[in-house]
Amino acid sequence: MTQFCSKKMRLRFLFLTLVWGLILPGSGWAEDARAQRLLVEVDKNLWATTKYIDGRLIIDNGRRVRTLSMESWMEGRHKSYSYYKAPARERGTKMLKLDRKLWMYTPHTDRKILIAGHLLRQSMMGSDLSYEDMMEDEKISEAYAGTIDGEEKMEGVQTFVMTLKARRKTKTYQTLKIWVDPVKNTVLKEEAYAKSGKLLKLIFFKEYRKIGHRLFPRKMVFRDMLKENTKTTYMFDKIQFDVDIPAKYFSQRILKR
Amino acid sequence: MIFRMALKNFLRQGMRSFLNVLVTALAMVAVVFNLSLYNGFQDQAVRNMVSTDVAGGHYRMPGFDLLSPMEWEDQTFKVPDSFSSLSSSDKAEVLVLQGQIFPNRRLFPVQLRGVEMQQTLLDLPFYKLKEWQMPVDDIIPIIIGKKMAGKSHLHIGDGVVLRWRDRFGAVDALDARVVDVVPLINPRIDEGVVWMRLDHLRQITHRENEVSWVAVKESRGTIAPTEFQEPEILLKDILELIRQDRKYAVIIWVILIFLAGISVFNTQFLSIFKRQREIGTLMAFGMPPKRVVRLFALEGSLAAFSAVLVALVLGAIILGWFQSVGLDVSHLAESQIPIRENIFLKIKPVEVVASIVVIVVIMILVAWAPVRKISKVDPTQALRGRAIT
Repeated sequence: MTQFCSKKMRLRFLFLTLVWGLILPGSGWAEDARAQRLLVEVDKNLWATTKYIDGRLIIDNGRRVRTLSMESWMEGRHKSYSYYKAPARERGTKMLKLDRKLWMYTPHTDRKILIAGHLLRQSMMGSDLSYEDMMEDEKISEAYAGTIDGEEKMEGVQTFVMTLKARRKTKTYQTLKIWVDPVKNTVLKEEAYAKSGKLLKLIFFKEYRKIGHRLFPRKMVFRDMLKENTKTTYMFDKIQFDVDIPAKYFSQRILKR
Repeated sequence: MIFRMALKNFLRQGMRSFLNVLVTALAMVAVVFNLSLYNGFQDQAVRNMVSTDVAGGHYRMPGFDLLSPMEWEDQTFKVPDSFSSLSSSDKAEVLVLQGQIFPNRRLFPVQLRGVEMQQTLLDLPFYKLKEWQMPVDDIIPIIIGKKMAGKSHLHIGDGVVLRWRDRFGAVDALDARVVDVVPLINPRIDEGVVWMRLDHLRQITHRENEVSWVAVKESRGTIAPTEFQEPEILLKDILELIRQDRKYAVIIWVILIFLAGISVFNTQFLSIFKRQREIGTLMAFGMPPKRVVRLFALEGSLAAFSAVLVALVLGAIILGWFQSVGLDVSHLAESQIPIRENIFLKIKPVEVVASIVVIVVIMILVAWAPVRKISKVDPTQALRGRAIT
């Protein structure tokens, strides 16, 4: 039985929401619990133990548009491997992330370069995503504590507007604001804020489609709000969840021609 | 007697002697000028770096490298208590972190450099930062150098978004205001550098009492957990660059001295060829061949001795004029050479004397070499002008 199709579970969620809303009016605890439950449901759609993605990154820097085509295998926050298929200049480039270290292999030089620490936070190949954004996959419900601020209609969908506060001081974005469809448990829009409250990134989750028991967007559009006219679209052409990833994909031995 | 004869002969040669003297004198002036220019260049570069950045050395974490920005965040340290007794003229605390500014909404990676405002050890014109009294909750005051202002198209009073990571790795951003654009004589602390108050930088990054280095007037011995970096280490690249340049300059000196030497050699060679009868007559009258050699060698050497006198006059005029205008090397600032102002000569008497002595010795040798063969000349053949062919 898929999560999305489970009427029973949806009814239970709505019932609990109603009960908390009626019995504990104004109660912060109730609000938090409801928000947290919603985040857990969102995670059930977006997060998986392992993922395989065949996708494209369309990087528009305002002057020209570049498309990178790659395959990625991800396992949680700490393991990720990507292989770039196009354009010709990037073909054969491999990136392996294990914990806090990232190795990049380029076939032109036939060498692997270790990138550690702060470089993970730099823009990846001129896009609006950092290596961290691209290669880390963490449960939103575990990384953030949420509150529901209100409701807003977005693209014809009644959404909950939620503010998420990072549970750890080390989290890159300490505050997120997300627009969640409480019926489908999908995120439609996300805003990432600096600690000071300045808006840094805007992410749109578009064209949700059903994959197994999940709803997953076909594309995500990232915008760095401090830059002008830049946009990066991450197209998920093919995505598989909870796949078996061969151990060799997360070994440095794969970083060869 | 031999000297008087040599002098008479030397003066009789007229234009040929004059040209020899002039070429040798110009070679001497050029060598001294070149050496002094390098001295001046090195002196000014080192002085600029010492007064604005290096001071008497830095206490840094072992392994800290300013050229590895990815490691700056991990190489900070709390200021050890040993430094608290030092006055503001004896130390300057500096914190360097990565950041980004977004002038006209374009990404511009920068080095955020916080320096304490009380310090007087480094000559940094940051009065506007010192005057800033407001808290940095909304706007951060920053100062940039002129070169940085040109590259980032920022002017005094402009606002720009500043983004950085705090000690824990969380991203943060605030509006910054350029409170001053200052001329910095050291481009290494200008291009790509955004200057802030140390207390502001510490506050926004949650790095209480942390620094990347403490610049000191003089070494204070070993202070854990840091290691002391001597000025020679911090200036290593610029000193190495000048050292390499000096090596290449030797090629120019060799060419100059070679040209002057050829000129003297040629004159001497022609002299003994044309004056065979004179040589034969001198020998016939009883002058020993070795003395004739000495006479001709002295004649040739007079060019070198005269050149010293001419070089003193020419040098005084040329170098004196140069010292009044200097050499504009502002274009070198583009290549991170720490000099913005005109450079001037630094004349070291020892170098001047050594250069002149070397040139004079070489000239004497080239004056002597062609006339050696006189000692083997048959006087009767010489009188007929057939001894040297």
